[in-house]
Amino acid sequence: MNKELEHSFVKQLEENQNIAHKICRLYTNDQDSHNDLFQEITIQLWRAFPKFRGDSKFSTWMYRVALNTAITLYRKSKRQINTQDFESISFKIKTEDYDDTIEQQLNLMYSAIKKLNDIDKALVFLYLEDKSYREISETLGITEVNARVKMNRAKEKLRKILNP
Amino acid sequence: MDQLDELKKEWQNREQELPKLSYNSIYNMLLKKSSSIVKWIFIISILELLFWIGLNLVIPEDNLKLINEMGIGDIMHYSNIVHFIIFGVFIFLFYKNHQSIKVTDSTKMLMQNILKTRKTVRYFVYYNLGMLASGLIITDIYFYSRSQKLYEIMNFASKGIPEKGFATTFIISQIIVGILVVGLLIAFYWMIYGILLKRLNNNYKELKKLDD
Repeated sequence: MNKELEHSFVKQLEENQNIAHKICRLYTNDQDSHNDLFQEITIQLWRAFPKFRGDSKFSTWMYRVALNTAITLYRKSKRQINTQDFESISFKIKTEDYDDTIEQQLNLMYSAIKKLNDIDKALVFLYLEDKSYREISETLGITEVNARVKMNRAKEKLRKILNP
Repeated sequence: MDQLDELKKEWQNREQELPKLSYNSIYNMLLKKSSSIVKWIFIISILELLFWIGLNLVIPEDNLKLINEMGIGDIMHYSNIVHFIIFGVFIFLFYKNHQSIKVTDSTKMLMQNILKTRKTVRYFVYYNLGMLASGLIITDIYFYSRSQKLYEIMNFASKGIPEKGFATTFIISQIIVGILVVGLLIAFYWMIYGILLKRLNNNYKELKKLDD
């Protein structure tokens, strides 16, 4: 039984690991911390897994646990963001005819998000992941109205950064 | 299409650039130990509870003799019983609060429950410091008012300590030691929890601001 549970868990996490990696990228500044946080997220997910009943999707459940781990439970102190770290997280141009401005804007937006505080970062992350206001408000534990208001403000901030 | 929406679409399309961990490396992570803040709060809290309970159990025999001979043995005995009942209540509350910490709750609820657990232990420490300080003050006043008897029981005459002025010296040294102990404990707590809970407290404040 335990083996079955383990297998089912690892398989689902393997399929959905992108969620955790994206959160690790936003909340840490180097590869070691990234791995550290990923591991802590895995442990927290595994601990909570026996009570996961499947009435929501694994991925939906995972967003909540992973964000909670990054914002609340993760213990490592935040290191200063430096330019070298930004280079390492830059998106690479995949094809030759790829639109360069989008590439630059994406990098600009990424570094802007990284400068936000932990809570605003979560808000923007959930927006980028196309989560509904209802899901955002339930994940963070704030009202839907407030989630909407604060999100609009965060979006405005991002727009200003992209169009200085 | 809005510029931001366009970037949002791009963001979602970039998943292939993320690291890919194998089944086995994820499996191996299940065997690792957590180093979450909850675990540390739990360990430190248990140590605190044990420390204060231990301190109450370890009373040097000389002190017991002094307490009995000064005629406050019974009062000490009953107040100890009450004291340990209160310990029990604190431990129960601590356990209950710790059980309520669930990583699957909303971020706000999770933070609230962690801070509540922490608060229980903090009150436990306040209670002990308060009891320690008031116990010291009351016995000092009592001893001071019966300094003659104390002088005889402690057998200070045979140690060559003059009776005149001994009571004042005794009380002052008690007060200095008391202040030093309390000061050290406060510094210790400030260090441990200041570091451990700084980020959590900041994030909780930010989250509450969102809901204002």
